[in-house]
Order: sequence, then C-alpha cells, then structure tokens
Amino acid sequence: MAERAASQNTPHHRLAVHQQLGPLRLDVDITFSAPWALIFGPSGSGKSSLLRAACGLLDRNGVEFARHDTGGQWLSMSTSATRRRSLSYAPQNSTLFPHLTISENVAFPSQSPRNESNHKPLVEEVLELFEVKSYADRLPRELSGGERQRVNLARAFAVPDAKLMLLDEPFSGVDRAMRDALLPRMQEWLLLHRIPVISVSHDVDEALLLGAEVVVLASGSVVSQGPAMEVLSEERVRMLKALGYTEERP
Amino acid sequence: MDFPALGLTLRLACLTTLLLLLFATPLAAWIASGRSVGKRVAQAAVALPLVLPPTVLGFYLLMGLGPATALGRTIIRCLGHPLAFTFPGLVLGSMVYSLPFAVQPLVAGFANVDRSLVETASVLGAGPWTIFRRIVLPLSRTSFLTAAVLTFAHTVGEFGVVLMIGGDIPGVTRTLSISIFDQVQELNYAAANRTALWLVALSFVALLIVYMRSHRTQEAELG
Repeated sequence: MAERAASQNTPHHRLAVHQQLGPLRLDVDITFSAPWALIFGPSGSGKSSLLRAACGLLDRNGVEFARHDTGGQWLSMSTSATRRRSLSYAPQNSTLFPHLTISENVAFPSQSPRNESNHKPLVEEVLELFEVKSYADRLPRELSGGERQRVNLARAFAVPDAKLMLLDEPFSGVDRAMRDALLPRMQEWLLLHRIPVISVSHDVDEALLLGAEVVVLASGSVVSQGPAMEVLSEERVRMLKALGYTEERP
Repeated sequence: MDFPALGLTLRLACLTTLLLLLFATPLAAWIASGRSVGKRVAQAAVALPLVLPPTVLGFYLLMGLGPATALGRTIIRCLGHPLAFTFPGLVLGSMVYSLPFAVQPLVAGFANVDRSLVETASVLGAGPWTIFRRIVLPLSRTSFLTAAVLTFAHTVGEFGVVLMIGGDIPGVTRTLSISIFDQVQELNYAAANRTALWLVALSFVALLIVYMRSHRTQEAELG
C-alpha cells in the first residue's frame, strides 16, 4: 500500500506527536502523501525528533504513527516494535558500524533474521548507486565524512521490503556536485521500488531541487505544508537575490 | 614447590573464568540495558564481594550449601554429598567471590557501545540477539578480555573463601595460596617464597595482558 501511495499521491503514512522534549513542545499531526516529503525547519525545531518518533525511538506516549494498508485502512504502528515497522533509516550522524567493512555495513539490514533470503544483488546495486563500491572492503574510519554519509545512505537503501524511508539530513557532508548527481538517481530508484521518503533538511536549495512536498516546522509546530515552490517561495526569492538574480532573470 | 596445588589452582581459575563469563554476560547485558531500580539493586549485590571480608562470604556459602538450609539439603539429595570441601564447591565459591570482577568490566563495555548504533540496527530490522551478537559483542571484546583476566587472576589469589568452603585437602581443595599458608605455618619460608613468586608471576602476566591489550585498542581507535 505504501507502494501504491507513493505512485498515486494518496496518503501513505500519518505521524502525530504531542510531547514535551526538554524545552521543546512538539505538537504536530502530519499526513504524508507525496512520494518524497521533506520536513524543513531551523535547527532545534524538532525535525529529527519526528523521524525518531516514527521509528519508535522516542517515548511512545503521545506518539501516533500509522500506515495506510492494502485494504485502504489506517494500520496503527504506534505499539509495534521498532524493528517490525519495515522502515529504512539514515540518521543524521552516520552511524556506521565501526568494526564492519563498508560492504558488511550495507549488507547488515539484509542479514537480520527478518530478511533471510539472499539480497546480495540489492547490496551490489546500492553500492554502485552511491558510488561506494570501490571502498567495499574498507572500514568506516578509513573514509572521509562525505564518503561515510554516502555509505550511510546506501545502507538505508539496502533494507529489503522497506515500506518507508526516513532520511535525516541525507546530504550532510556530501559535496554539492555529488549531491546533485545522486538526487535524480535516488529519486528514480525510489520510484522504481515504490518506497515513499520522509527526509529532514534545513537546506532550501535541497528542498527546491527535490520538488518534494514540504512540511515547514518551527518551534515544534507545523507552520505550512505543500509543494516546495509554494511553501518555500519566500526563501527561494531571498536565495535568488542573495545570488544576484531577480525573479525575471533566473 | 607444591605442583599439585599449582595444577589445582590453574584448573580452578580456568573453570571459574569460563563459567563466570557464561553467567556474567547475560547478567551484565541486563544491568547495562537500563536504569531501573531492580538493575541498580542487582549491581549493588554483584559488587558485594568487593567490600565483604572473604571469610563472611565463605561462612555464608558454607552454611548455605550445608544441611542447615533447604538449598543445601537439595544439593545433598541430588549429589549424595554436600558441596562444601569438594572441588565443585570451590568452583561455586570462586564464582561468587569473583563475580564483580567479571560483571563490572562487561557492564562498562556494554554501556560504552554507542546507543545510536544499537538504535539504527534496530530500525534496520535487527532483533535483540542479532544486535548483541553482531554489534555489542564485537564492540566490547576488550571488556571480555579484561573480565576474563581479572577473574582468572583474582581466583588464583583467593584465600579466605577457599579456606572456608574448601578447607585444606591436598589435591582436592588445596590451592597455591593455602599452600603458602601451610608452608609458613611449618616455618618453611623458602618453599613459601617459591610458591609466592609463582603467584606474583601469574598475576603480573595476567595484568600485563590487560594493559597491553587496552593500549593496543587505544592506538587502533586513534587511528
């Protein structure tokens, strides 16, 4: 169902969080329907906490997470164990397993008991997609920050049968040229595999480049939600001016 | 030199280390997994042998395993004899006495594993056993070595508990430390010195292994 939703823009997931996190009060109720939704906001606005809530890594009181199932019903995942939520996840600070090689890291999700069948081709595919195959036998500490981040993304893409992908600042540390090259490839791959994405960013450029549905978050609440070009129009104009362009002369 | 005592001491230390690691691993993993009151109570109980006089532990073990308690009577019924003054009784006493030396390094090792690695592995579909086997265990292997060596060395050097629960039966419960005591009682200082030197050497080598290993790990982490 998440597959169908991703292609037809029908709602696929819903996340509601009403919780006090230190000084921040999170009060959101978001229904995601676009193939790629981007939670946009400044640092400390609660973006990453929303992804952690969807994963079941926050206190579950005050969190509702639901998936639209094949029968068109909302299936509550709020009490499901984290590992049974069929998620793929790339956290903000790449949490690569330091003792495993790059290929072992990327193969990790397909080697858990839930995924017993052979997923070697998938691992090979994502190693190539993120251009990290040449580092396959190295350890994470032998890679640069940008390379580690690409492996972090590759590992998220190697989760077999994922129903939702959660990417926290996916291009943090990745240079712009590489990001611009990766983005269309990632989008094409995700559309092909029909996996919807919720990502988190504070980068206007990234949001516009993705053409994603944007949820703007400020101080723990949703300020606006809609297509990037509409929701971030002010930021876009400001960015263009900063670059020396006017609206008429893009 | 009391070679039977040396052989018995090494056998006791090896067996205690092996059994204690098997017992301490799940216990340490449980203690390190949260902050509940029950876990803190368990941690305090595990640390008791560090502060109690060995004779107190030995006394309670002697009483607890004897015919005065239900546990002791059950053991006697099952084995046909009490555990006290036997080699298995000595192993049990050593396990209790060395428990903190096995559990505490493991708790520290497990707690030091980056929480975000465990969380990420869980979101990526790994169950508790997979996470423990593939992430926690490899990342805390130095703690296993520390726990093993400290348990071994501590067992080699124990005296009070061994004397209380095992007595001084040659070839059965007489360990090197008891042998030294006997040799001093007999005013045979030369023999006591030789035996004591064995204990010093064994303990020093054990500690050297721990410090060499931890130095190498630090170097590897720095790059």
